[in-house]
Amino acid sequence: MKLIAILVILFAVYATLLVPFTQHLQTKPFLEKVGYVPEPLVVKMLAFDQRHAVAAGLIFRVLIYYGTLVEKKRITTTPPDDSSMRAILSVTSRLDPYNMDTYYFAQSLVWDEVKVRETIKLLEYGMRFRDWDFYLPFFAGFNYAFFLKDYKAAATHYTTAARLTGSDLFSRLASRYMYESGQTELAIGYLDAMIKSSRNEAIKKSFETRRSALLEVRRIEMARDRYREQFGRLPALLGELFDQGLLTRPVIDPYGGVFYIESDGTVRSTSKFAGRTENND
Amino acid sequence: MISILTATIKGVLRDKVFHGILFIACLFLFIPVASTFSLRQVVQLAVTLSLSLISFLLLLLAVFLGGTSLWKDMDRRYTHSVLGGTPVSRTSYLLGKFSGVSLFIIMTALLLGIIGFAAIWSTSIVYPPDRPLLWLNILCAVFFDSLKYILLVAVAFLLSTVSTSFFLPIFGTIATFLAGSATQEVYDYFQTEQGMQLPAGIKSTALFFYYLLPNFSAFDLKANAIYSIPLDSGGLLLTFVYTVVYVAILLTSASLLFVKRELL
Repeated sequence: MKLIAILVILFAVYATLLVPFTQHLQTKPFLEKVGYVPEPLVVKMLAFDQRHAVAAGLIFRVLIYYGTLVEKKRITTTPPDDSSMRAILSVTSRLDPYNMDTYYFAQSLVWDEVKVRETIKLLEYGMRFRDWDFYLPFFAGFNYAFFLKDYKAAATHYTTAARLTGSDLFSRLASRYMYESGQTELAIGYLDAMIKSSRNEAIKKSFETRRSALLEVRRIEMARDRYREQFGRLPALLGELFDQGLLTRPVIDPYGGVFYIESDGTVRSTSKFAGRTENND
Repeated sequence: MISILTATIKGVLRDKVFHGILFIACLFLFIPVASTFSLRQVVQLAVTLSLSLISFLLLLLAVFLGGTSLWKDMDRRYTHSVLGGTPVSRTSYLLGKFSGVSLFIIMTALLLGIIGFAAIWSTSIVYPPDRPLLWLNILCAVFFDSLKYILLVAVAFLLSTVSTSFFLPIFGTIATFLAGSATQEVYDYFQTEQGMQLPAGIKSTALFFYYLLPNFSAFDLKANAIYSIPLDSGGLLLTFVYTVVYVAILLTSASLLFVKRELL
């Protein structure tokens, strides 16, 4: 009887402990959750003949982490641990260089110049193995043109994508990139294609958020162009577009930033289209 | 030898290790669902998980059956009564036991392969892959995995002939598997600029073990199976011949040691 009472008490203590314990585990930083991932060579040796499964497992953990942030809409307040996620993707690409999930997810994280160079490197590494896959040159071509304005490199990759698909769509895209026109529109088109082909809800949502942001940029750009036509100069402030009635609805950055117009007319946001920290608010 | 082979298979079927492994094989049922977590390669993930599970289960069988089969008979003095009361030679007995365990590994690989194929096929129906699946590649991956574990069983048998407890056969086999799976990576590392700068002593020691230990990386055809990459028939033939020669060396050595062993 005494033992049963002790057991009941222990179960009660355990049940009380479960909630804070689970919360503690949920709020653990990404690196603590996933743990330190050693150099690819070491992981490769430790994985023995299971390196494909280990790579799939690591990608899965990164996806769960990223997916939780996106699903719970915590991405605007808690920036994802981008460098750790990229370090793991770098390891998975070495463990299983054929695994498309690595490249697809790495590409979905790109939205600034710093990350784009790393991602291009990863994609070009993957192209050595997945030589049948048009997605990798398609991604690399887009990154070169849109972020780095390197139209020559973009055209080379789009030519490869055109050769692999047998479609002239990529050749046409390459030639459009050469003219450096309609960048935002092209990015929206790229995101539309990505959303259509995306199976993972978290990734899909992140693309949709990015597209919403770009649609707002496009709206401001169109108003800016009309302003330039009317007044023969660029607006100094975004407010001028509202004052002249060229913008009616408020422009909202889904990343929580504030839009502004640079002196050369480029539309930017203070969020840089990345999750902002609470300190930045 | 045939009677020893049959008795070995019957013994394995009664073994609890085998039942435990069958229980773990239930995990195949979850593969189609687990594969949907992939972003862009659902079927490829199904192939990855199926082959990994098959490989893992065969590893357990090779270590536990290979490591305990001969030792258990010696420990129970069954070997002594069989070899003393019948005209069966020690070499025939050893080869019979080895053939029994090896045949059982091939049969299990076949069974697990069929279940794995079903899991992959059902996944590919719901999520058609970008590249067509090459079933022959998947079959080759399972077959060469079986060969790898048969080679490991031969290692376990060699260790059993010199051991007085099950520790050496079991842990020695595991250690051989770990080392044999990593030697190619180490060898490749020594070919890099960084590896070239290492002391000559370390390099020659590593090279010695590289040639001495079985090289299991040659049996890994998972990338070919998962991503439908064409197989190199010449390489496959070489690997097959390598297995036959290596197993023959191990069994001959095991037989020599077993003949001289005191069984009482």
